[in-house]
Amino acid sequence: MNSLARSRRLQPYLFLTPYLMGALLLVVLPAGVSFVIAFTRYSGMGRPVFVGWQNFQWVKSDLLFWVALINSLLYILQAVPLRILGALGLALLYSRPGRATGLYRAAIYLPTVIPDTAYALVWTWILNPFYGPLNPALRTLGLPAPSWLSDSAWALPAIVLASLFQIGEGFVILLAGLRHIPRETYDAARVDGANRWQTFTAITLPLLGPWLVLLSVRDVVLSFQSTFTPAYIMTRGGPYYATHFTPLHIYETAFDGMHFGEAAAVMLMVFIVTIILVVILYNLVEGWGFDED
Amino acid sequence: MKTRTILFTLIAFTLILTACQPAAGEEISFMVFGDPAELAAYQTLVAAFEQAYPEIRVELIHVPGQADYRNRLAADMVAGTPADVVLINYRRYGAFAQSGALEPLGPYLAKSSLIQESDFYVEAVEPFKWLNELMCIPQNISSLVVYYNRDLFDQAGVPYPANDWTWEDFLAAAQALTQDLDNDGRTDQFGVGIEASLIRLAPFVWQAGGQVVDYDANPSTLTLDSTTAIQAAEFFFSLQTVHHVAPSLDEETAEDSESRFINGRTAMFFNSRRGVPTYRESAAFAWDVAPLPRGKTQAGILHADAYCLPSASKHKDAAWTFIEFANSTEGQTIVAASGRTVPSLISVANSPAFLDPSAKPANSRVFLDTIPYIHALPVHFNWIEIEDIASDELWRGFYGQTDTLDALQRAIQRTRIYFTENE
Amino acid sequence: MKISRLPKTLVSLALTGLFILPLFWMISASLRQPGLPPPRGIEWIPSPLVLSNYARIFDILPFGRYLLNSAITTAIGVALTLATASLAGFGMSLLGKRARLRLLVLSAALQMIPVTALWLTRFLLLAWIGQTNSRLALVAPAIMGSSPLFILLFYWTFRRVDPAVVESAKLDGASLLQIWWKIALPLARPALMAVGMLSFLFYWNDFISPLLYLRSQTLYTLPVGLLQLQEMDKTNWPLLMAASVVMTLPAVGVFAALQRALLWWDGEEYPEGASHQAFGKNAKKWFLFQIGRTPFRKVRRTSEGR
Repeated sequence: MNSLARSRRLQPYLFLTPYLMGALLLVVLPAGVSFVIAFTRYSGMGRPVFVGWQNFQWVKSDLLFWVALINSLLYILQAVPLRILGALGLALLYSRPGRATGLYRAAIYLPTVIPDTAYALVWTWILNPFYGPLNPALRTLGLPAPSWLSDSAWALPAIVLASLFQIGEGFVILLAGLRHIPRETYDAARVDGANRWQTFTAITLPLLGPWLVLLSVRDVVLSFQSTFTPAYIMTRGGPYYATHFTPLHIYETAFDGMHFGEAAAVMLMVFIVTIILVVILYNLVEGWGFDED
Repeated sequence: MKTRTILFTLIAFTLILTACQPAAGEEISFMVFGDPAELAAYQTLVAAFEQAYPEIRVELIHVPGQADYRNRLAADMVAGTPADVVLINYRRYGAFAQSGALEPLGPYLAKSSLIQESDFYVEAVEPFKWLNELMCIPQNISSLVVYYNRDLFDQAGVPYPANDWTWEDFLAAAQALTQDLDNDGRTDQFGVGIEASLIRLAPFVWQAGGQVVDYDANPSTLTLDSTTAIQAAEFFFSLQTVHHVAPSLDEETAEDSESRFINGRTAMFFNSRRGVPTYRESAAFAWDVAPLPRGKTQAGILHADAYCLPSASKHKDAAWTFIEFANSTEGQTIVAASGRTVPSLISVANSPAFLDPSAKPANSRVFLDTIPYIHALPVHFNWIEIEDIASDELWRGFYGQTDTLDALQRAIQRTRIYFTENE
Repeated sequence: MKISRLPKTLVSLALTGLFILPLFWMISASLRQPGLPPPRGIEWIPSPLVLSNYARIFDILPFGRYLLNSAITTAIGVALTLATASLAGFGMSLLGKRARLRLLVLSAALQMIPVTALWLTRFLLLAWIGQTNSRLALVAPAIMGSSPLFILLFYWTFRRVDPAVVESAKLDGASLLQIWWKIALPLARPALMAVGMLSFLFYWNDFISPLLYLRSQTLYTLPVGLLQLQEMDKTNWPLLMAASVVMTLPAVGVFAALQRALLWWDGEEYPEGASHQAFGKNAKKWFLFQIGRTPFRKVRRTSEGR
């Protein structure tokens, strides 16, 4: 009986084995290895040599590291609020089923489906100052038509602009969030004579608040990886480092310069920043009274 | 029920696919970079090799871009799975030689009955010696030349470049060939296309009598702030910033100079020999090559690539057999016929395989005439990073984002640490 | 009422047009004749229209091979993901409350870590076991169900399985594995399809893994093929766009087949009303637990345009 009960208790873990093993092998172990490599000089070939904090000192004095960090922060500051606002606006617009709502929702999600590489390429074309269709359109509207990807001041905003169309995930998540708000709340508000704006600020926004915060944190964290492909395909970090983001910096440090130690040191910092964000997030969520059942 | 069936089928499919492993055998891999037209040369080479040595199969791995090739190679070296034969430029093998990732080929060459060191141009062999040991066997002795569109010269009534033309002649021709054909205020045809990088600037520095680094054998800094080097850079940058005979940054981004040249909208394009197969295939106009214009002196820049054997290779003997074949008269003749290389074997370079007057470019001899004046960039384990960073700064100078002196000084300053950093 | 709806319809049409534009321009540019000088003004439809770019990309690169490789990798990735994620989700639904909560927290944390923080050492680990140049390297994330979200999606589905049914099956001598296969999975069709589609996009679109791991051209997938093409001639837009279209269409196809289910939260009309309510409640938790990807419901819209 005792052994049977124990096997019962252990059985669920059998089902979870691949997942837990995978997490161990693909996340925990790599993180641990980064932690070791970050303190060594390692060209990827031969043996790593322990060098203490030297890599971190190098990283600290490396101009490009700071450029990458600042660019990543600039990207986050521009892209995340705009993406969230965009997703929110669209979700509000299409939260109620209506005529052709399905078509509209599908259209909004469509750019998100385009593979990153193809998406980066098509934007390189759209933004091309001579061939692309964007600048003639801007000129027709009487707007300034910058050189986008070849202009240091506009390359980063150009990548932000491209990212604004891939907001399908946030859009769907906020649709779900809006569905979560009980109808009766709105009915009550209407009875009280609240106008649309009042309803929005008094009901929708507060109830959607946690979702918006979480979505933002997620977008911030993911921008550490989502900037790689556009930067790699569209600009290779240029012009003159204007789109040199952290992931590209790690990639180039490791595979161009073969300085795996330094790259691991940068990675470790990204990792730590992420962990901090996760912890903050976890506490926030708990503060909102998360309850499993 | 149906969903489960699909799931089951997928899993079964997976198992079958993962069970299919490639058959074992004496197979070597050979990794090259280049345009599709260049690839054809290597395909022919591999075919000829497999015919001569039926017991060895060669898998040709093709990476089109040089930057990707370099990352690919580094990643493979780290993974311990590099191709058995890799093509590496002399500016790039230093990092691999330093970390012992390459098998020295001197001893193999000494034992070869097919080729020996004295068969090769010494200018091509020397850069591949690391601590006095020959690491790789040079495939070519390419150098920078000016490709020019004869039709555009004819249309503009500009005489073709002479073999002893000077910077002034070159600039005059470029100016005459830069044209706004439809008078809309936008230049449609450019005189010059040239990459804004250290490897393009270097020959101008030498021609002005300057130096790129302090000591070629053991460099410790770039020396681009000498009066002569500044003069060279001034001239180089002025092509874009002052004379506008080269595309602006916007124009270059919209369509790069090589495409413009191939499409007949740039009159002169600076490239090494590697452009030939592509231009033969794609350029629908008469074209030829001219030597670099002269400054105070004549100088060219080496662009040699070599076949290297990674020490992680598990098929070293087969790989050497391939390298030996590729660098034999037969092998080099095949690749030379494609137009891809300036053969490093003296005999092949002087044979019709290279000098055939009926094959474009008619003036191939330019490449051989340059050899006595050829300079090489230093071999250093961090050279590629040095070159990249310096080029980023030169790029700013070329596109007028900073003045010449600032660009040069920043290039020197930012690269200094890479000369000494011990990795 | 009808008049007041007009502005909204106009806005909607404009937005629809805007979001379709990237794909439209991709297709339009892919039909342009290479080597032409820049157009004057906006070129909606190029003239002359040529299809030859599509033939050309298969000519200069083995795009057929890349397509096949992408399909194989995606198939393996999706199949493994469905298996491991549904197993893990089932296991999770069997756990006690505290263990489950810990696992949820762990999954949430895992979901938040960007690949960037791991890729280098993942590469080194795969290199040390000699598996870099292989399909295994590409589908490795499938071992852990590709994304913790997928596991959570299955978990929420399996949680709704009536415990009485499971108990009676146990009494009949069925093992848990049999229960998973015979009872749980058939009920999880929506989750299977959701995870199937999202993991399809995950593997089909993956650029970083093949870029890092693959050496042999015989294993290259489409994203690397696209990069190769770009490296060959980075301003040959028509060719690049043609290749982009070839890569995008399958993804759009899968999306088109399943988008209704993905984008419709039309709860009231869901056929199994009660169980849907459970999902409605779950939506918040699902989201709170950080959630990278999109929720998905197979929903039959019974009342059109309510």
